[in-house]
Amino acid sequence: MKKTCIFQDTDNTKKTADLLEVARRMYGNEPFESHAVILEGPSDEIYGAFHHIIRLSAGLVEGFDSRGICDVLENLHQTNTFDSILIPATCLGEMIAPRLAVRLQTGLAAGVTDIGRNGDRIAFIRPACSGKRLQGLEHTGEGPVVMSIRPNAFEYTSGGGVETEMSEYTQPVTSRTAVKRLHSEANKQTYDIRDSEVLISGGNGVKDCFPKLYPLADALNGTVAASRKLVDQGIAPRQIQVGQSGKTVSPRLYMALGIHGSMPHMAGLRQIETIISVNRSSHAPVCSLSDIVVQGDAAEFIDKLMAKMLSADPKKKDR
Amino acid sequence: MKMICVVKFVPDLDSIVHDGENNTMTGNNSRMILNPDDACALAFALQVKAEDPDGSIEVVSMGPPSVRPHMEDLLRRDVDRGTLICDSVFDGSDPSVTSRVLARYIATRPFDCLLTGSHSLDGGTAQVPVQLAELLDLDQMLGISRMDPDRFDRKRAVFQVAEEKSVTTYEMAMPCVLSLTRESGYKLPYPRLTDMRRDVSDELAVITNQALGFSTTEVGQTGSPMKIVTTRPKTYDKKERHIVQNDEAGISFVVDFLKERGFL
Amino acid sequence: MDKNEMIENLGKILSPAQVNTDSEALYDASADRYKKYAKVRRVLDVPLPAAIVYPKSAEEVSKVLAFCNAYELNVIPRAGKTATEGGLENWKDNTIVIDALYLDKILNVDTYNMQATVQAGVPLQELEDELRKNGLTAGHSPQSKPVAKLGGLVATRSIGQFSTLYGGIEDMVVGLECVFPDGHISRIKNVARRSGGPDIRHIAIGNEGALCYITEVTVKLFRYYPENNRFYGYLVKDVETGIKVLREVMVNGFRPSMARTYSEEDAAQHFYHFHKNKCVLLFMAEGPEGIVQATCQAIEAAVETFKNGVVEQVDSRMIEEWFNGLNWSQKDIDDEYEGMQNNDSHAGYTTEISADWETIPRIYNSVMQRIKKEYPRAHDLTMLGGHSSHSYINGTNMYFVYNYHIHCAPEDEMRVYHHPMQKIIVEETLKHGGSMCHHHGIGKFRNEWTMQEHGSAYYMLEKLKEVFDPKGIMNFGTIYPQAEGVKYQT
Repeated sequence: MKKTCIFQDTDNTKKTADLLEVARRMYGNEPFESHAVILEGPSDEIYGAFHHIIRLSAGLVEGFDSRGICDVLENLHQTNTFDSILIPATCLGEMIAPRLAVRLQTGLAAGVTDIGRNGDRIAFIRPACSGKRLQGLEHTGEGPVVMSIRPNAFEYTSGGGVETEMSEYTQPVTSRTAVKRLHSEANKQTYDIRDSEVLISGGNGVKDCFPKLYPLADALNGTVAASRKLVDQGIAPRQIQVGQSGKTVSPRLYMALGIHGSMPHMAGLRQIETIISVNRSSHAPVCSLSDIVVQGDAAEFIDKLMAKMLSADPKKKDR
Repeated sequence: MKMICVVKFVPDLDSIVHDGENNTMTGNNSRMILNPDDACALAFALQVKAEDPDGSIEVVSMGPPSVRPHMEDLLRRDVDRGTLICDSVFDGSDPSVTSRVLARYIATRPFDCLLTGSHSLDGGTAQVPVQLAELLDLDQMLGISRMDPDRFDRKRAVFQVAEEKSVTTYEMAMPCVLSLTRESGYKLPYPRLTDMRRDVSDELAVITNQALGFSTTEVGQTGSPMKIVTTRPKTYDKKERHIVQNDEAGISFVVDFLKERGFL
Repeated sequence: MDKNEMIENLGKILSPAQVNTDSEALYDASADRYKKYAKVRRVLDVPLPAAIVYPKSAEEVSKVLAFCNAYELNVIPRAGKTATEGGLENWKDNTIVIDALYLDKILNVDTYNMQATVQAGVPLQELEDELRKNGLTAGHSPQSKPVAKLGGLVATRSIGQFSTLYGGIEDMVVGLECVFPDGHISRIKNVARRSGGPDIRHIAIGNEGALCYITEVTVKLFRYYPENNRFYGYLVKDVETGIKVLREVMVNGFRPSMARTYSEEDAAQHFYHFHKNKCVLLFMAEGPEGIVQATCQAIEAAVETFKNGVVEQVDSRMIEEWFNGLNWSQKDIDDEYEGMQNNDSHAGYTTEISADWETIPRIYNSVMQRIKKEYPRAHDLTMLGGHSSHSYINGTNMYFVYNYHIHCAPEDEMRVYHHPMQKIIVEETLKHGGSMCHHHGIGKFRNEWTMQEHGSAYYMLEKLKEVFDPKGIMNFGTIYPQAEGVKYQT
């Protein structure tokens, strides 16, 4: 039977079990033995999903010590001879997986988002070239395959009900690491519009109701941006100006409210997945590049959209 | 302070865009640029050197002969030594092999700190800097978003790693491998016009396998445990434009669209 | 004379309040929009002027010039600061910038004789706004209209967007007043026409501050009929077709106020929402009703004649909308300034040339070919195109526009990017017998080709300089090449 070892997703411990889906796709629907190695958090989140849960004893290794954690995984592999070792591609995981591959003298498939099958050959699919291409990799070496898995790329929906054996790993690590964590703080909310996946952007058509864009942005988990016209009039600050002389943005969703779409503005938009524009004039150049064009007054649109979204999801009222 | 910057030249992928109308990729992907994360690492090293009279920088890269002019371009800045590891026997090497080749060369060089980028535009695995550290038995950190210039010396480095929810400050003893990201914002200065016209071709050291001594089965495609078997462009759905009014039907359309795409 | 003495003396000639030695103002005065990027990044390689002075009358200008002439101080005449070819750039340490700030009065608007007299420091927009109150227009509308002032507009032989109907500034000037380096004030009176020897207005019009300082201008007025404006837009197969249609309209005797052909890339900047990767041809007819109608018919007929090259007509409303947003404002300039601080880019540059109908497409094609083949930074170009926008019975202009990622140190941008581009354009133009400077003036950065531009007629320009500015104090480096200035160019 195939054996797989899965290291905990330390960013989101509940998601650790999702990596079982990777194993399921690799091994077809053949049963496989799963081992979870966890560092922190309650094990009952994954109880019933794994055959073995190995908890590192408290204080054995620091949460950021990739070399120490590598020792643990290496030892466990010596004992169990896994066929695959799956590590979530968190910041920590990206530092563990390559080291482990070197120690086990095997190949590494990094940032995997999908598993493909070609007869009995398994292909590890991963994005490359800044997400513009998809590579399929095959492991031709000996030894286990070591993989780091992209967050949210897989979902495991089995019912659980596996008989789980719990154990504690107590063997001291031998790697000496000279890293100290000095200090950690919450990442202050970034207001750089370039970091946002959703931008609610206002132009001259919303100059009299610009503050309305903020609740709309909140409702869509986005950030407010503006065209030069509003910055010139002092209605919006320069930091959120989109355009050739402002910032270049690549959100997934760009909502252009009352924006004309002059070239200097459009030059600030790159590779947008979806553009929704709201404009009184259907001749506004921005409409030619939009996926949805709403013909009408932008202020009215915001009111109507907010009302519709609230009626669909009353929880949003509390935002 | 002796610094080695490990760099890679990659296709200029930022200039390739998806043409929605024809559902193709357009743009010039034949131009090579210095990987943006690596450029930050080098820029930081140059800043350190500017303040340190004993500072020195060696830039190391493994690549085909076509990256020579790009390495020379780096020599036109305040870089002391440039080394290109280049041999046809290395063609087709996967990142694991690349790490081994680079490690073997770097092990022969004196250094206090190895500075690299974190992710490359083309591969994007962040594998090489980590494996380099493992092979050289060094500590390493990925994703460095800020260096503390006042606590960077032959004994230790203090730096920050910014993740989605938190920013953590670490201290690491030298020698070690520090991998920066482009978010760190260090900007590589352009060479001056007078330097652009300088011939630096004989300042670039080219290291072949003769100096490193790998057997042919250890490197290249043969030596690579992972092989790329397929590669295809990521496909996008063809775009369709919808025009709606500011009425119940139009608003519902927008809301449904947003729900479908996962924004709501 | 040392700087402090100089400043003191100027303070006595004018008043201390009219002498500005603020370091920021001096830094700003040391270069114009030609070196906009280096200026923003604070790496200009030229000397600072010694002071900026603000005379309040022609007499004060005269005293200052006489003073500068006596002590051989370089003088830069300045008004709206919108110069783009280095005309305002400073190449000497002891330079006095004479700014027309206080020469800001509209002296007379004569709606019967259709003339208006203004001082050199009056912004064109201000004059235009005043004229519109009377249903009139100056007819002169460069993109810099909101910011540019009359003195500079006349000194550079500027052209406006409606020149095809109203003419260039040289057709609009009636009379003027100017001051020469020796302090002599010349007033050229306002008459409709005369034959009183050579037309001496043209010593001042286009002198770019290299011969005299313009203090006052009288321009013609025109009745304004905005209600009759009509627009036409077409997508055409290539630039040649567009030029042929423009020529047809002109040669048949009609004068649209705007007549333009854009190459595909240039069209993309303005008309991305409808140009479908084709060239764009557009017209605007303005004036009295009958004239507009006749002009429209002529446009339609010309398009019909060349219909094989015409792909489709564009909705006129789109052309009208575009037209309404065309001019710069101070805000555009300020915004570009801010953008250049943070981004390694700017809004682009232009080189404007002219030639006869036959030659223009030849120049256009050979320039494009040469750039693709020879331009060392072709891979950094983000835009390269051109448009014809000012037509005459016997020819037209071609406005090359280009932009690029600036992948070099800011102080090297001109030498790495702009100059090599401009060199190709100028060389091809001069080779084919066209003019390298349709309406921006030679400034300083095309002075290496001034002699080629004029050929044997350069003799006439040279003599003017010898006679009117024997000590060479007027705007050192503008128009006339100077060995000492070469270090700021290449």
